[in-house]
Amino acid sequence: MDQFWNVTSELLKGFGQNCTIFGLTLLMAIPLGLIISFGSMSGIKPLKAVVRTFVWIIRGTPLMLQLFVVFYIPSLVWGISFDRMTAAIIAFVINYAAYFSEIFRGGIESIPKGQYEAGQVLGMKKSQIFFKVVLMQVVKRITAPMSNEIITLVKDTSLARVIMVPEMLKAAERFTMQGLIWPLFYTGVFFLLFNGLLSLLFSYIEKKFNYYKG
Amino acid sequence: MSMLQVENIQKSFGKNEVLKNISFSLDKGEVLAIIGSSGSGKTTLLRCINFLETPQQGKITVNGNTLFDAETFDKVSERELRRRRLHFGLVFQNFNLFPQYKVMENITLAPSLMAKEQIRENGEYMGAKTMRQAQQAIRDEADQLLRKVGLYEKRESYPCDLSGGQQQRVAIARALALNPDILCFDEPTSALDPELTGEVLNVIKGLKSANSTMIVVTHEIGFAHDVADRIIFMDGGLIEEEGTPQQVIDNPQSARTREFLARFNQFGD
Ligand SMILES: Nc1ncnc2c1ncn2[C@@H]1O[C@H](COP(=O)(O)OP(=O)(O)O)[C@@H](O)[C@H]1O
Ligand SMILES: [Mg+2]
Repeated sequence: MDQFWNVTSELLKGFGQNCTIFGLTLLMAIPLGLIISFGSMSGIKPLKAVVRTFVWIIRGTPLMLQLFVVFYIPSLVWGISFDRMTAAIIAFVINYAAYFSEIFRGGIESIPKGQYEAGQVLGMKKSQIFFKVVLMQVVKRITAPMSNEIITLVKDTSLARVIMVPEMLKAAERFTMQGLIWPLFYTGVFFLLFNGLLSLLFSYIEKKFNYYKG
Repeated sequence: MSMLQVENIQKSFGKNEVLKNISFSLDKGEVLAIIGSSGSGKTTLLRCINFLETPQQGKITVNGNTLFDAETFDKVSERELRRRRLHFGLVFQNFNLFPQYKVMENITLAPSLMAKEQIRENGEYMGAKTMRQAQQAIRDEADQLLRKVGLYEKRESYPCDLSGGQQQRVAIARALALNPDILCFDEPTSALDPELTGEVLNVIKGLKSANSTMIVVTHEIGFAHDVADRIIFMDGGLIEEEGTPQQVIDNPQSARTREFLARFNQFGD
């Protein structure tokens, strides 16, 4: 029993790191993703090309590789280095911002042109049309794909162990090396509980938006 | 002097010249119907008048004020453009209501935003000094408009719970809430089931009796005949024939007009 509590508390410490990565990534990747999505829809052709290429690279390479790049390249090239956690968060934010930006772009582009034009002929400003007319409809349309991405993010946080962030799977691996296998499988419970809560939250949000169709 | 003057409007999309030198005028309280086959440029003309498209040439004047002049238009600020827009209202073929807002909110959204801006900048909006007063006035006005289009009891519904005809009537009320000088309709009944067109056409007839100035693009030739003071028949980006309903519909002079009307008569009015 002692051993169980000991393992639980070690894993929880590790899971704290996962939660930190999760929280900070969400907090920063959503606004950054929105900015990137504007760039990828920009009327300025070169900007759009650069942004779309960037998104393509980030989505086309493994997050694990991106973690290595952010952690090792600055020190190899410029002799500066981020601490492990900072490097992990930078890589996660960039990676998820790229994915989010595509969801945002899809959502924004799915709103019919007529919605903008209706706002325009009613004398509304561009910003008013975006915030008062379009945004809510976009949020409704992207709730489901965003839920998927966010649940994936929870699981992805364990990738940070490849640059030695002491997250939960890393902690479990330490027990494995001492000959204790079950903590490794036990980590699944934490992920399941966390994602279960998130699923409840998302289905609540989706229900909230069900008051209208379209 | 005419209320609206449209002079020499020319609009191309790339090499495709969609409007070739369109000119007409409209008096206060007059109803103009625009008919013509699909692709003749009717929608584009309404969009130009409502600043959704920018013509390459031409001039648009309302009550003696030049609202659009192709020569100088690129110097007009966004703010000024928004102000000029309010001379016109536009009712779309497919309504374009805001789905996330109730009927009432669809109507009050734009006036409320306008009131907020004007009270902040000028200290008043149509006589109201505070936002609370303005909101009250805007809501009262919306109630009245909803009664006018026969949808007062639907004011707390969402657009998705209304029929097409009801949605289009809300769209008309929404456009009227900003008191446009000239209200434009782009085939307001084309997206509706046949049994629902009557209720929308009746609302437009009602507006005519209240002396609203309107431009109605329509395929309902019988309705155009009844409600319009003047008819324009457009063909290939030009005004092919223009006159009273008796002239254009009952005694068309142009062969193209006759051909167009004959196609309609085949299906019976
Ligand atoms: N945004 C656009 N870009 C390119 N061509 C357009 C655009 N809008 C309309 N057109 C063209 O202009 C012509 C007239 O269209 P429209 O004004 O919609 O006619 P109508 O309303 O009389 O059916 C059509 O050939 C159409 O393809
Ligand atoms: Mg049309």
